[in-house]
This record gives sequence, C-alpha cells and structure tokens, in this order.
Amino acid sequence: MRKISLALSASFLLAAGCDSGIVTNENSPTVDALAGNLTGAGIQTLSLGVLAQDRALIASFAYLIEPEIFARDAYRIDSNEPRYVNETLNGTPDYGSFSGSGGFAAGYTAIRSATTLINALPGADPGAITEPQRLATTGFIKTIKALDYYRLLELRDTIGVAIQTADPNFVAPLSCKANVLDYIASLLDSANTNLTTAGASAKLPFTLPTGFTAYGRNYGVDSNIVKLNRGLKGKVDLYRGLQHTNPTAGAFTAAVAELTQALGGAAPGAVAASTFGNGAYVTFISGGTENTPNPLSDSKIGVNPKAQAALQAGDTRSSKIINRVSAPVTLGGSGLSTTLTYVGSNTANAANQVRPNAILRDEEIVLLRAQAYFELGQFANGAADLNSVRTTYGLAAIAVPTTLAAARTALLYEKRYSLFFEGPQRLVDLRAYGLLKAGITPAELPNDPFNTALPIPKFEADARGNVLTLSCK
Amino acid sequence: MKIRTLLFSTIALLSATVAEAQGRRITGKVTAEEGGAPLSAASVTVVGTTTGTYTGEDGRFSVAAPAATVTLRVRRLGYAQKAVTVLAGQSDVTVSLVRDVLQLETQVVTGTATAVSSQNAANAVAVVSAEQLTRVAAPTIDVALQGKVAGAIITTNSGAPGGGSQVQLRGVSTILGSFSPLYVVDGVIVNNSTINGGLNVVSGASRGNYSSSQDQSVNRIADLNPNDIENIQILKGPSASSIYGSKGTNGVIIITTKQGRAGATTVDFTQRVGRSTLANKIGERCFQSAAEYAAWAAANIGQSAAAATADYNNAAVKCHDYEEEYYNNDGIAYETIGSLRGGSQSGSSFFVSGLAKHDNGLAPSDFYNKQSLRANVGQTLGSRFTLNANTEILHTLTQRGISGNDNYGVSPIGVFLFTPSIFPLARNADGTFPQNGSVINGPSNPFQNADQVKTPNNTYRFIGSATGNLSLFSTEQQTLDATLTGGVDTYKSNDKVVSPATNYADLAVNGALAGTLFNSDGNVTNANLNGSLVHRYVLPVITAQTSAGFRQERREVSITQLTGRGVIFPSVTNVSNAAQTFPNQTLGLNKDFGYFAQEELFALNERLLLTAGINAERSSNNGDQQKFFTYPKFSASYRVGILPSMINDLKLRAAYGKAGNQPTAGRTTFLTTLLYEGATGTRASTVKGADDIHPELATETEGGFDLTMFASRVRFSATAYKKKITDLLLTAPIVSSTGFTTQYLNGGQITNHGQELELDVTAYQRGTTSWISTTTFARQRGFVDELPEGINPFIPASGSFSSRYGNAWIAPGMSTTIIQATVGCKVDVAPGAACSSANRIIGFPADANPDFQAGFNNLVTVGAFRFSGLLDWRKGGAAVNLTNNYCDSYNLCADTLASQTRYNLYRAGGTAYVENAGFVKLRELTVGYQLPTGVTRSLFSGRAQSVRLELSGRNLKTWTKYTGLDPEVSNFGNQAIGRFQDVTPYPPARTFLFSLATTF
Repeated sequence: MRKISLALSASFLLAAGCDSGIVTNENSPTVDALAGNLTGAGIQTLSLGVLAQDRALIASFAYLIEPEIFARDAYRIDSNEPRYVNETLNGTPDYGSFSGSGGFAAGYTAIRSATTLINALPGADPGAITEPQRLATTGFIKTIKALDYYRLLELRDTIGVAIQTADPNFVAPLSCKANVLDYIASLLDSANTNLTTAGASAKLPFTLPTGFTAYGRNYGVDSNIVKLNRGLKGKVDLYRGLQHTNPTAGAFTAAVAELTQALGGAAPGAVAASTFGNGAYVTFISGGTENTPNPLSDSKIGVNPKAQAALQAGDTRSSKIINRVSAPVTLGGSGLSTTLTYVGSNTANAANQVRPNAILRDEEIVLLRAQAYFELGQFANGAADLNSVRTTYGLAAIAVPTTLAAARTALLYEKRYSLFFEGPQRLVDLRAYGLLKAGITPAELPNDPFNTALPIPKFEADARGNVLTLSCK
Repeated sequence: MKIRTLLFSTIALLSATVAEAQGRRITGKVTAEEGGAPLSAASVTVVGTTTGTYTGEDGRFSVAAPAATVTLRVRRLGYAQKAVTVLAGQSDVTVSLVRDVLQLETQVVTGTATAVSSQNAANAVAVVSAEQLTRVAAPTIDVALQGKVAGAIITTNSGAPGGGSQVQLRGVSTILGSFSPLYVVDGVIVNNSTINGGLNVVSGASRGNYSSSQDQSVNRIADLNPNDIENIQILKGPSASSIYGSKGTNGVIIITTKQGRAGATTVDFTQRVGRSTLANKIGERCFQSAAEYAAWAAANIGQSAAAATADYNNAAVKCHDYEEEYYNNDGIAYETIGSLRGGSQSGSSFFVSGLAKHDNGLAPSDFYNKQSLRANVGQTLGSRFTLNANTEILHTLTQRGISGNDNYGVSPIGVFLFTPSIFPLARNADGTFPQNGSVINGPSNPFQNADQVKTPNNTYRFIGSATGNLSLFSTEQQTLDATLTGGVDTYKSNDKVVSPATNYADLAVNGALAGTLFNSDGNVTNANLNGSLVHRYVLPVITAQTSAGFRQERREVSITQLTGRGVIFPSVTNVSNAAQTFPNQTLGLNKDFGYFAQEELFALNERLLLTAGINAERSSNNGDQQKFFTYPKFSASYRVGILPSMINDLKLRAAYGKAGNQPTAGRTTFLTTLLYEGATGTRASTVKGADDIHPELATETEGGFDLTMFASRVRFSATAYKKKITDLLLTAPIVSSTGFTTQYLNGGQITNHGQELELDVTAYQRGTTSWISTTTFARQRGFVDELPEGINPFIPASGSFSSRYGNAWIAPGMSTTIIQATVGCKVDVAPGAACSSANRIIGFPADANPDFQAGFNNLVTVGAFRFSGLLDWRKGGAAVNLTNNYCDSYNLCADTLASQTRYNLYRAGGTAYVENAGFVKLRELTVGYQLPTGVTRSLFSGRAQSVRLELSGRNLKTWTKYTGLDPEVSNFGNQAIGRFQDVTPYPPARTFLFSLATTF
C-alpha cells in the first residue's frame, strides 16, 4: 500500500511538468524577422518604414498646427483643453505636456530607422538589388533622413538637435543650430554624391507611396530624387545664410544654384504656374489599421482673423480661408474668437482627412529662390520669381524692390499665402527675420510670449539627467 | 477548497479507518455554552494522534482513543476551541464551547492545501467574515472590504455604478509591473483584468479612434457576488504570499465561498430596496445680474456687453444648478438574494444561491445589473475520497455613461464647468434637447448624451473548480493525503459605445463622419491545476506536516475591438455600416508552472509552530521561459506558556518570505508595422526588449505579537514589516533622441516599511446586549532606494498629465508616491501674469501616500436591535485636482475669488492643484431589528426561523478638506503609481437600503 502510494505520489508531482511552457508572441513580429542579409522585400518594408515614420512626425499638432499658431495664422481653440491657447499664444509651451513635447521622438525614430536601413544596404542580397539601385536607395533615404533633421530643427531652432551616430546606444549631445545646419548640408551632399554616382536613370528598387509619384514627378527615378535633394539643400543653404549669429559665407549663392538645379535649370520667373504643384507629398489615409488622417482635418482649428485681413484685394489664395460651418460657427474661448477656418480644416470629413501635404513643391522652391536672390541683392531676379507666383493668384506684379526690407516684406506676403497651413515655413521666416517680437507683431493675448520654438521635452531632459548643454562649433 | 479537511489540528477526518488497536471508544456531546444547543460539525481530535471525528446533527460524537488518559481538542467554526482531559476509564464526556466573538479560531491559509488556526498563524493574515462583508450591501467585494483591513488601501476610481477600484496591500510594490493583489476563489486564481471599454472614442480623453486607459472601465473582480462568500483572507505581503510564488508580491486575497453542511436545509432569502443620491457637488458659478454676466462674457469669451446682456435677459432661469438637475436619477435600486444550504449524513452537501441586483447610476440612463447563480456541492465517496465542485455563473450589464477626462466636450462635469448658469440643458417639453448655448463648450449637451449615447458593458463569467481529496494511507501516527484542484475562470465581456450622428457633440467633433460606434469582444480565461500531497506525522512531542506539489496555470486573452465613424443611421449599431473603421486586436497566452514544498512543525503542545517552504516557478512571461525562479519562506510563532491571569494568550510571531511579480511584457524587441497607403513598412520598435527579463523579487520580513486578554474579550495585534523589492521591472525611458524611447529592464530597489495595529474589543456583553468594536490602524512608507546604473529619474509610463498639475516621479531617495509639480517661478511675475516654461521651478509639494489609515467598526446589539457603523479615516495623502483647473480657466467655479486666486497661482508657476486628499468617511451605517419569534411564526405560518429588518446606508457622509467631488479618485483607473488624478469624475453617491432578511 505504501509503495503504491509513494509511486502515485512521485508520478503525481512529476507528471504535470510535461508541457514545455514555451509561448511565442502572436501580436507582433520581432526584430529577428529581419535578421540576415536584406532581401528585396526587406528593402521595400524598411524604406516604407522610414517614409511612414516621417509621416508620423508631420501628422501631428506639433508639426503642422502649432508652428502656424506661433506664426499667428492659426488658432486651435478647445475649451476642454485650454492649453492649446494658454501654452501657445498666452504662455509658453509646457515641456511636460503635449504643447511642448511633440514633434520630437517621432523624428528621431525616423532618423534611426533611416540609419539602420542605410547601414544595412551594403549587405543587401546582390540578387535583390543592383549597384545603381543600391546607390539610388542610399541617396534617397539619406535625403529623407536630412529632411527629418531639418524638420526637427524647424521646431526646435536654437534649442538644440541631437545628431545621432550609428551606435544606437550612444547619447549624442544636443548641437547648436549652426552645427545642425552644417550636418544636414553635408548629409544632403553625401546623398547627392550617391545619387550622381548611381546615374540619372537609376530607379529605386521598391514601390513609393503615391505622394512621391503622382504629383507631377516620379521620385522613383534618380534624376528626380536629385531635384528633391537639391531643393532641400537650397533651402538649408538659404537659412545657413540667414543665421544672425553665424551666417555661412556663400550660402545664398549656393542656394540659388541648388534651387535652380531643383527647378530643372529654369531661369528666374520662368517656372510655369502649371508646375507649381509638382513635388513630393505626404499622403494620408483615414480609417483602418493605417489610420493616419491629415491633422489639419480638425474642427477645433481656426484661422486668425488677422490672416484674412492682411490679404490683398483680388488674391485668389483667399479661398484657403473660409467661414466655419460646423457648430459652433464661432470658435471661441480662452480669450480668442474666430469664425474662420482653413479650407482643409472646416469639417473633419473624409476629403480633408486624406488631403495630401507637400514636402517640397516647385512653388516653394521658386519662392525660396526669390528669397535667396533678394538676400544676394539680385532684386530683379528675385522679383521675377516672386511675380511669377503673384500673378498666378490674380495680383499685379510688383515693381523690382529697391531695398532689402521692401523685398523681404513682399516675399513674406507671397510665402505666407502660397504655403498657408503647409508647415512651419512662416514660423521659420518670422524667426529668421526677427519678427516674432513684441512691438513688431501685435500680441494676441495679454501674456503673449511670442514663442518661436518648442522646448526640449521633459522626457528627454529627464532621461539626460536634465543636462542640456549645447555642443557648438 | 478542502482546506478545512486537512487542517493541521483538525485531523485527517477523512481517514476514518483508524486502526482499532486502541483500548477504548470515547463518546460525548458538544454544546454551545450559551443556550446549550447541540453543535454539529464540531471536530473532536485525540491530541498526539491523527485520530478524530466530527459531531453529528445532535452534537454527538464517538472516537477511538488509547486506554490511558487522553486530551481531546474540540473545535468548531464560530466558537473558541477547548481541550478537555478524559481520564482512563472515562467513556462519556460533554464539552460546551463559548462563542468566538473575536474570531480567534479562524483557520488561516499557510499553503495550497494547508492551514492553521489563527491562534498559531505566524503572519498577520486579515480575515473578513461573511457577516462583516455584507453587513451593509456593497456593489462589489473590494468596496465591501473598505476600512476593514489594516494595511489595505482600497480606493474607488469614481462614483460610477458597477465598481472599479484599486486594492493596494502594504504600499506600492512595483512601478510598472502588475499591481493588483492576486485573487483566489476556492483555489482558482481569478482574473482581475480590465478591458478598456472604448469611451475614448466619444470622449477623446486620449484622442484617436481606439479604447484607452481613460475609459473609466471596471476591473473585473467587481463581478464576484459578495453574498456567496464565507470569508476572505488577506495575505498582505510576501512573507505570507510566498506560497503564490511569482504572483505574490502584491499580496493575495483568498476568497472561500459558502459550502453546504450536514443537517436540515436552511433557506435564506433577502430582499433589499434602496436608492442612491448625489453625495457631493463641485458647485458652479451662479450669475446674479446681467452686469455680472456681461463683465464675465467680455473677459472670457470676447462677447459684447449688449449681446451678453441680451443673452442674460432672455434666459428663463439665470442660475441653473446643472449637477443637481443632471445627477438626479432617483430610480429604485433592488437586490434579491436567495440561498439553500444543507447536506446529508451520507456525505452530500450543497450550497446553492442566486442573486438579482439592480443599481442606478446618478446620471440618467446609467445602471448596474448583476445576476449570479452558484452551486457548490460536495460528496464523500467511501471512507477515503471526497469531491467538491463549486460553480458560479455571473452576468453583469452595466451602463456607466460618460465621465472622467475628455477632449471632445462630453464629460458632464466638464461641460457644466464650461457652461455659464444661464443656458438651459434639460430636455425640452417636446422631448428634444436644447443645444448648449455656451460658446465655450456648445453645442454639447450632457442631457442629450445621456439619452442618446449608450455605453453598455455586458459580461458573462463562469468560475468553477473541482477538488478531489484522497486519503492514501492513514495510521495512528501518520496520514498521507493527495489533493487535486482544477479550476477555470472565464469571462466574455462585450463593450459597446453608440453615439448617433444626431448627437450634437458627435456632430461637432466628427462633422461629416458623425455617428460613432465601438464594439469590443473580450475573452479571458484562467485555468489552474494544483496538486499536492500532505503528509502528517504525529508524535507525542512534535507534529510534522510535510506538503509538496505543483501548480500550473494558463491564461488566455483575446480582445477584438472595432471602432466605426460616419454611421449615419441612428438606429444602426453594426459597425460594418460605418464609413471608416478602426480595428484593434490583442492576443495573449501565458503558461506558468511551479513546484512547492513546505514543512510545518508543531511542538511544545501546539505552542510553537515553525514553517519552512519553497516555491520554484517558471513562466512564459520571463525572458528565459524555462528557467525556474525560487521563493523561500520561513516563519515561527510561539504562544507564551506562562502568563498573568488577565492575559489569555500571547503569541509572538516572525515571518520571512520572498515572492515575485512576473513581467507582463518585454521579452523581445518587436518590429513596428507602419502602413503607408496600405503597403507594409516596418522599423524596429522604439521600445527595446530585454531577453533576460525576469520577475521582480520582493523580500519581506514581518514580526509582531497577538495578545488576547480579559477572558478573550480584548484582542490586540501589532505587526511591523519591511518589504524590499529588488530587480524592479522597469520600462525606463531612454534618451529619445537616440531613436528609442523606452527599454525594458530589471533593476533598482524599493523598500516599504509599515506598521499595522488591530484592536478587537467586546466592550460589553451581557445577555442579549453586546458591543463589539474593531479598530484597525496602518501606516506605511515606501521609498525608491536606487535605480539601475545609467537610468535617470523619470516619470513612470502610467498615465499622468503635466508637472504643471502634478505627476508621479521615480527617483532614488524619494517616496514612491511623491508628486512632482511646479512650485514657483525663478523670476517675479505680476499678478495674473504667467511664468514661462523655462522659469518654472519643479519641486515636490506633496506625497500621495496617506500618513496613516484607520478604520472604526462597531456593532451594538440590544435585544432584537442591532446597530453598526464603520468609519474609514485616511489621514493626509495628496491628489491632483484637475477638475478645478476646468472651472478656474473660465472663471466659472462657484467661489470665484478662491478660483481666480488659485488660477493666478497656477499661471505664476505655483502649486495650485495638488491638494490634501485625506478624509473621514462614514462608510457603513445599519439599524437592524429581528422580529420576535412569535411574530415571525404568525407571519410565515411557522415556516420562518428568523426575520430581520434593516435600514442601512453606505458612504453617507464624508469629512474632508479636499475641494473636489471625492478625495478617492483615479482618472486612469487602476495603475500602480500616479493614481491620484482627478479629472471631472463621476460624482460619489450616497446609498440607502432597506432590507428584509429571512431564514426558513
């Protein structure tokens, strides 16, 4: 009896351990799925990952809306969240909440994913990708990486941007604006070298989203990637020249050359209005698992009445500003009020949710070139480009300006309405020209601090032990 | 659970085939000292042997015993044990037992299949009886425990019907691991998960199109029916909960349901009716004149004086009290409970119960319905085998409406604080609803939302277990028993949110895509299998009990959620009609397996108890899924032998144990899928995994004493403990400019210290008059001792708002519950002006942890009348009152001066919203009357044994300095840290109930 009991007992204790207990996660793939040499499919998904992460950065309040609030073209009035006003036009953005912490981590993640892909490309399966394709892909992804650094700089300006290294564990110091601009410029040039070596007819070995193919230009072809690359480089060089503390010599000249290359060599004033929309775009999708609507399709967004008031008579770009139709017709609260909204914001409907947003299109490049010409003192060339835009929108051409101040004023008007709600361009310009100041720009609210940039977010500051020293050249 | 049959001192009664080698048979009778009634089911054991028996229906027993003088130990639930000497040659004995008013005799759990009398227990295990639990009807069991357990901080998340609360035992034991105590019902580990119910799709609290942790959802322990519970034992920390290994860090709540017992079948029937009323209001500003309104409108909404004056003059009612108008659901609540309990001498027993309950929320259309059906049956087969099967089927249907944080202008308190008092909101005579005329929050109208927006949660749950117990052998000195328990807890929970396109708020937010639907189907299953062997070896000087076994658990989760926007037909609730849909699915499977072994030694005439045990467990949640982690425990208790006469018993006790907390995620670094125009893109997740992730380890040392004095009328228990948690599970922030945001890792350390006191006093007892008082007191402090190298202090990833209001903060040397917030400005700011972000000084103005918590529970019986009251006192502890920020920002708080002073302080960088959230609450109050037997007989033609009438109330009064609705609040529901966020919550209710309880 006892023996039987003991045998029973022993088997009882051991029997239940038969199941191995190993479980695999069914919810997501792990990084192991991409181990080994890159395949064609790997290049496709990783490239789209980079582009999608770039889109994640711009599909945010911090990138598409907050800079337009700082630039006094937009309001976001939401009684449930007074911080949209109190931490933009009536106070400073809080580094611990959405008003000051956005537009940050998503950009660095995009840059990291670009770096990962760029570093993996040399080891790609030779059967999956030809050498010109590899170079074109490298050049394209480097250009997108530079774009993301530029976006981070647009939002943080002189507050600092960290320049990542290949080591994902290395905590890079925050760099000064001049260093970051130089770095972006070198990255774009390096990409340009890759693209040039690849040859103008090289094609990307993966399918791009339609925002890169359907707007007058197919960026799947090397020669067009070069145009995007040079357009961005021209933009970066323009602002390298406009730095107050440390302007880069020769930057405007370089910018004119690069922007001209981006415009296919077109002479001042010679870019046809019909091609103004040509360029690279971010496209949006609403619903489903993708669900990334354009953040401008937001019923709480209004247009600052001053933006409508400043329109010149006859300017057909006035169609971008419309009366609100969704209730309440008056968007009010926190001391602000407007009945106006952006055409893409009026109601959160399907059309506005999928409205594409330009990354860089020819109209902006023409205006950037006009700006560079003006800064070089080439007023006639600048006016030619400027008027090619102006006359497109029902306005009379301006006379060639005689002073830089007059030229800048004319230029800022065109850029404001041509690029209305397309990104932080106006904030960047107002900042570059020192116009976001009391006494120059009217205060919107009693405690208007004239914010010009977002702070380093609290999660970043905390993780750095609150040491935020800038590394400068 | 068959614990009672295996009790250390209750003897292996199943092994009735005791060798008849002894010299004689002792027969006798066990009676109650008061009244002399025979006591059935009392255990009678021969000290120093394994021999024993139970008394029958007539209180009589018969037991074999050696011929020499022996001692019999007699025990019965509800009575104090007694040892009687039976001389050689004596064959008949009568034993009378005294009522165990202070529950000194309760059996407390020491292992999977072992228990000891609380008189010997080496841990401060809290035991709450059925009577204490249901003295005043509670909607859920955690609410029923409030104020009754020293060392448990139990906080309801809001006043919404249907529960939702947090139980925290002995402080914060984890930063990002799971934080709920483990709940075990009749040996089955039951699930206390929360499925987010999708309120976010209409509230936008976390924005987007998916459910969120701000959905004000219920943690599912709320499903259990408090009326079926025999008792609840609470293992507060690892020194006791070590037996639950890597699930024991947060303590264990062991629930035992009622079982049948031999004897005539009793039928209990209770009917309750009652209602709930609004217990507290925020109070909104009342505009007294057109001039006052015009001045306000000019300053806050930019309205012209003429237009504002016209609005004011046109208003029929100038001073709406929206909270009063809205939280005014005065429907009748009811609860019907019936049960049958009985058993036969042939070894069958049964307990069958049913419940139907309906509670109203305070807001129109909100309710909580619950039905349950339980059948617990037991059968003894032959002399060696018993089988018990416990099953419960539960159904709840809850509509909690809208509350808490929101960004879409739908949360009622938020809307009211944004609506000047002149705008009508209640339903018009023609059945329509006015659009809210407030430009701040219009047109959203909570009255319309309550009518149109449905938020039902429909849950079916089954909890069942079966325990088989086999006596493998039994001799005079030894027994060996095998126990196998298998159980399952499975629930299916459906959440819906239906917001029609005609809804003003939905239309304002979603425009052309108005009309919102959300549908969530959750299936959650826990399955257990436990096996154990218990060997008892009884020697004259020592009794050794050795137990060993295994425990296996499997947890499966599958949640499928779908949101639809643009559903234009108001009556349609099928998401496939939506113009846009947003799917989301979560799947999970976990497997745990563990071995345990334990040795308990009783010596010195049951005065000394020494215990050593070890658990070894593996879990698929760990990085190394096959590695076993071990959790030892040691404990000792000693009842002092020689005592002054006034002292009945003094027990010294010490316990040491380790327990773990499994990782819930983090084994691997995932790829994140990012779709772009429907094509799949990927990148590495921004969250780095750790392939060596493993359980947190909590090590607790506990010591104390229990003193029983004055003829067992006073019991005082004191306990101190130190709990150290190492290898913390962290999702520590990474410098996000590296491209990663978080990493999973183990490291760092927390230490909690605390003291718990309990004083039970029978202050008066004479005849049918008595006064029994229980006082509990507990205080605890927890500190972060260190963080892993390279990890800087951080805000935990649990939900919080900005440091402008107050957030949690994890830093070495600081309290785990510290609140980080702005405390001033580096530069002087003019009154009303703002301190810029860069100049704000971040400090630590308060701690969310209370200074102490105390409960005062009194029960006075005078003849047929019974009075009881429970006061719950939480001293100190802060909360962050963001609700005040709502009305401050538009100057619509009732007290405009205080409000604007506070708002200016906030703007100037001061600490404006961190408040002392201490309170004293009158949790329970009852007046009961037992009908005289004669009346009972005549009313029920002799069938009823007793009829009791009761009037009771819950949360009748709160004394607090807190300016919000309720100092107990948690916008994010259950989270380990940062529970203190108050954002336009559901207001607290005061509940009155009338009960009629009958026993047949």
